[in-house]
Amino acid sequence: MKAVFASISRCATYASALFLVAMMMITVADVVLRAIFNLPITGTYDLVQLFLVGTVFLSIPDVFLRDRNIVIDFVDHVFGQRAIGLLKLIANVFAVAFLGLLIWRMVPPARDALNFHEVSPDLSIPMWVHWALMLIGIGLTLPAAVLMLIQSALDFSHPQVIPPQQADL
Amino acid sequence: MSPQTVGIIGFIVMVTMIFLRIPVAIALGLVGTVGYAALNGWTQAALVLGRVPFTFASAYDLSVVPLFVLMGSIARHSGMARELFQSINVMFSGRRGTLATATIGACAALGSVSGSSVAMVATMSHVAVPEMRRAKYDERLALGSVVAGGTLGILFPPSVMLIFYGLTAVQSIPKLFAAGFIPGLILAALQILVVKTAIWLYPDWAPVSPRAPWRVRLQASAGMWKLLCIFVLSIGGIYAGWFSPTEAAAIGTFSTIVIATLSGSMTFGKLVEATIESGRTAAMLFFILLGAIMFSYFIVQTQIASNLAAWVVSLHLPPTAVMVVVVFFYIVLGSFLESLTMILITVPVFAPLAQGLGYDLIWFGIILVGLIEVGMIHPPMGMNLFVLQSQVPDARLGKLYIGSAMFLVANAVLIVLLLAFPQIALWLPRHLY
Repeated sequence: MKAVFASISRCATYASALFLVAMMMITVADVVLRAIFNLPITGTYDLVQLFLVGTVFLSIPDVFLRDRNIVIDFVDHVFGQRAIGLLKLIANVFAVAFLGLLIWRMVPPARDALNFHEVSPDLSIPMWVHWALMLIGIGLTLPAAVLMLIQSALDFSHPQVIPPQQADL
Repeated sequence: MSPQTVGIIGFIVMVTMIFLRIPVAIALGLVGTVGYAALNGWTQAALVLGRVPFTFASAYDLSVVPLFVLMGSIARHSGMARELFQSINVMFSGRRGTLATATIGACAALGSVSGSSVAMVATMSHVAVPEMRRAKYDERLALGSVVAGGTLGILFPPSVMLIFYGLTAVQSIPKLFAAGFIPGLILAALQILVVKTAIWLYPDWAPVSPRAPWRVRLQASAGMWKLLCIFVLSIGGIYAGWFSPTEAAAIGTFSTIVIATLSGSMTFGKLVEATIESGRTAAMLFFILLGAIMFSYFIVQTQIASNLAAWVVSLHLPPTAVMVVVVFFYIVLGSFLESLTMILITVPVFAPLAQGLGYDLIWFGIILVGLIEVGMIHPPMGMNLFVLQSQVPDARLGKLYIGSAMFLVANAVLIVLLLAFPQIALWLPRHLY
């Protein structure tokens, strides 16, 4: 189950990387064409905004699956492994609660964007496309957080020696 | 219950959650939502929360973050850091402690392409520490110069911390970039002074390196052309008026890829790896930003920031005295909190206070980043110390702490200089704009 989901998440991460490259390329092309031929690309702003949404939201599931969220682990030096296991479990419960709440509340404005035909200023890109990317990102992150919650519950109920974590770069 | 009381309770709960290992983004987002609901009702809070992610869809300026992260990542993956370190080492050969000086010099130069302190320490710990160990450098000097040099990355433009400060305090990012430049140079000089003083007091800490002939030194200086080109193109272009900071990030990243590829140090595999890593880092940073936006909406509703500013002003204390208290507050906070978290949760409160006292918010941003640097190398909780420990697992903790504490003197002097002479930060942005 986790392996299947990890593959889906990896695909989303590759898509995110493509959006990042596209964001760079469209801006470079716009600057070069503007400087040399006085021909800026119409709608660069719209496209960069769309690509930024894709870059950010499609990588969030991978951040959760790899446990790469920024955590202040000050208490690791104070509490024992069992207590830390419990804190990790509680943290994952909060993460699932927040993500569930977030995706639930994101649906109404996304629906409004679709129903009211909201579009971007220059290229008239339908804003539901942005919302769709955001919903896909958070929608994939929620099961990732649930998987991490199950994992932390299993770790807590069957404690084992955990190797030291690598630095989060 | 008054909005201020709700705000204070919310703040305490949020900090407690963070200290109890709840991811920073989740703690900020949950407390922000619940606090907002306590003040304005659930319907309103739910409406605001649902629209927060859309902030990223309408914030063109935010694209600068993943692009500058990618630029730094490519510079690391293509081995520019190692090349730069070796060039500086050869250029200044024949003196005692050259490797430690080269570490700081390389960090300062790399700061112009990588805005992340953590990434810089991770890179330099692989490049510089083994070289210094081979040359029989004292561990205190070797480890200290890497953790301290790493902090230069967030003061020199493009700095991810300055970008987030600029977005949170609504300040011009080009002005902040310009403001960080001279303090960055001063800090690098002060750190080199710490190295020189240490080896003057303890000559056995660093051997004299063999002197390279002038021809070899000149050849080595040519090794710096890559970074110079990238810096002139990306940062120079902003001030020359060729493009905006967002466009500069794209131009800088693109030129880094082109230069790395042309010089044969970048493969397709490394490029893919760097891009994926950057997307992931950007997602991590933006998810925290998402939580922080919700939290700042809540803090604005509590009116804590404006009331605190009004209260402090009513005390008729000299602004310098208030600023000294703020500085100590940040030093204590920096011992426990991660740098980005510190910016996102304190700037909405302290920026209005600083402004109310008549301070320039560009200057305040530089002071803040200077204080964050202190927090990053402050034993026992500095982030850079953890990163170095993870990259050099056999590093002795006691020696690492002494080494980093030694370099804290340089940061302290910089903070005092900035407090006494704000022009250090403000001269360049005022001259350029």
